[in-house]
Amino acid sequence: MSEPKRTIIGFVCERSLPVERMLDEHKALLDDPETRFVVVPCSGMVKPTLMEAALANGADATFVCGCAIGDCHYRTGNLMIRERLEGKRNPKLRKTTDRRKVGMFFVTMKDRVAFLEALAAFKAGLDAKPVLED
Amino acid sequence: MYRKFLRLTKSLTVSFEKLVNFLTTQEHNPLYFHGALPLYTFWFLIFSGILLWMYYIPTLDRAWSSVNYISALPTPGDPVNLAAGIPYGAVVRGIHRWGAAAMMIVTLLHMFRVYFTDRHRAWRWLPWVTGVGLLVFVLFVGLSGYLLVWDARAYYIVVATQHLFDGVPVIGSALSTFLVGGEGITDYTLTRFLFFHVGGAVFIFFLVWMHFIRLKEPVVTPSRATNFLLLGFILLAAGTLPAINITHELLAKYGHDPRIAAQAAYIASDAPAQIGTLVETIRYDAWYMFPYWLVQNVGTTWTWLILGGSTVLLCVAPFYPKDRRANIAEVIEAKCTGCTFCSLDCPFEAITMVDRAPGSKFKQIAVVQAARCSECGICVGACPFQAIELPELHSKTLEADLLALVKKGA
Repeated sequence: MSEPKRTIIGFVCERSLPVERMLDEHKALLDDPETRFVVVPCSGMVKPTLMEAALANGADATFVCGCAIGDCHYRTGNLMIRERLEGKRNPKLRKTTDRRKVGMFFVTMKDRVAFLEALAAFKAGLDAKPVLED
Repeated sequence: MYRKFLRLTKSLTVSFEKLVNFLTTQEHNPLYFHGALPLYTFWFLIFSGILLWMYYIPTLDRAWSSVNYISALPTPGDPVNLAAGIPYGAVVRGIHRWGAAAMMIVTLLHMFRVYFTDRHRAWRWLPWVTGVGLLVFVLFVGLSGYLLVWDARAYYIVVATQHLFDGVPVIGSALSTFLVGGEGITDYTLTRFLFFHVGGAVFIFFLVWMHFIRLKEPVVTPSRATNFLLLGFILLAAGTLPAINITHELLAKYGHDPRIAAQAAYIASDAPAQIGTLVETIRYDAWYMFPYWLVQNVGTTWTWLILGGSTVLLCVAPFYPKDRRANIAEVIEAKCTGCTFCSLDCPFEAITMVDRAPGSKFKQIAVVQAARCSECGICVGACPFQAIELPELHSKTLEADLLALVKKGA
């Protein structure tokens, strides 16, 4: 397995994916070592500032992964983070944040493969995008 | 063992819903609107019920005929054209009848979905227990609707219910008298049944309010696609098999007609009730009449034990097994500006804003009601000032983890 080239930080709800079976001891994704997970009880706990901090500290991209829309264990956590990242709910993602580096996935416990496919598409999108100057 | 069972049911439910997602997409999966479906169906029952009520006469000699007048099919040449009834009255009654079946089905779907995904315990006890009350009242209101038709089956149900009440010690006979509004069945009995039906429906709204009281912005309407799907099913059922009254004469005359036979088997009412003449058996509506099936098959005592026992079990279900509750959100007084974001976003109404002492820097402060807190951390995500935290997953820890992960990847 080649060394990771990029660092992608995912904030992942512990109920959205079977995280304990997907990570190695360094919290890197077994199927994609470039991606590392910060596991939270609910995607609604993620502040946009945390995602901004990830990018500011060297992550190439960041994403949040919550339960399927309509199926949040805590009712509205996934809707909250979606609205915060879309700028519809406070606290919002800063307007100066490069939104192309910020992803959102909403999946069920049984969607591991679909999640990996969506993650691959997100990363492919990063490759295709021009790098913004700081 | 029980936790394993709950994990298994959740896994199976999610697998099934994944299949449905494949067909409908997440946004339109009807199972993700399981809580809104009963309320949406209830509106069908309310509006069709109001229309039926306009023509219903709650007396012993007119109840059956008034229902018959409502639902006689007015189409010329139709075999059931008994009278020039209310235009589309049979369809409206069909909507009420099929809507009632749909109501029980979606209510049970909601209950099992909540239970199977382990969303009934701990801080959710109030919605669950009021939900049990709603289930009981849906059953009660549905059953009382069957009495209003005042056909042979309605009379059978009244006698069987009195028999059930007779099995209750001390208050059994008083309950029996209360049921029919006196020592015997009179016109007051039908008025009372109408009250049970309509008053019960009104009480359902009260219980729905209690059901929602600890939920922020409850989902009260399904997606548009689900709305149309359910509306389509009910209208199709009501249009194909409208609810009518079927007499022995009608059956003898038109029993060969498959549509009439289907109506007789499923949704028709019987011949008018004859007080003192009890039919030997009735057609049981599986959704509402199972208690009477139980009475006939296992006896009064076992029926009470089964119904009472299952209700008690449902009511205590949210309190077992108990989870360790060590991560209840805590407000950091010095940082809280009283911005209300956490209170607005808390999905379980666990955070209230209270006034600070006069002369304080900020006007209000957030207060967490521990019993309602789900430990989800949504309030932490909502707070721009790091003024509310989960004790076992502090924002600073999360940030440190994040920085360590970024460093490892670099």
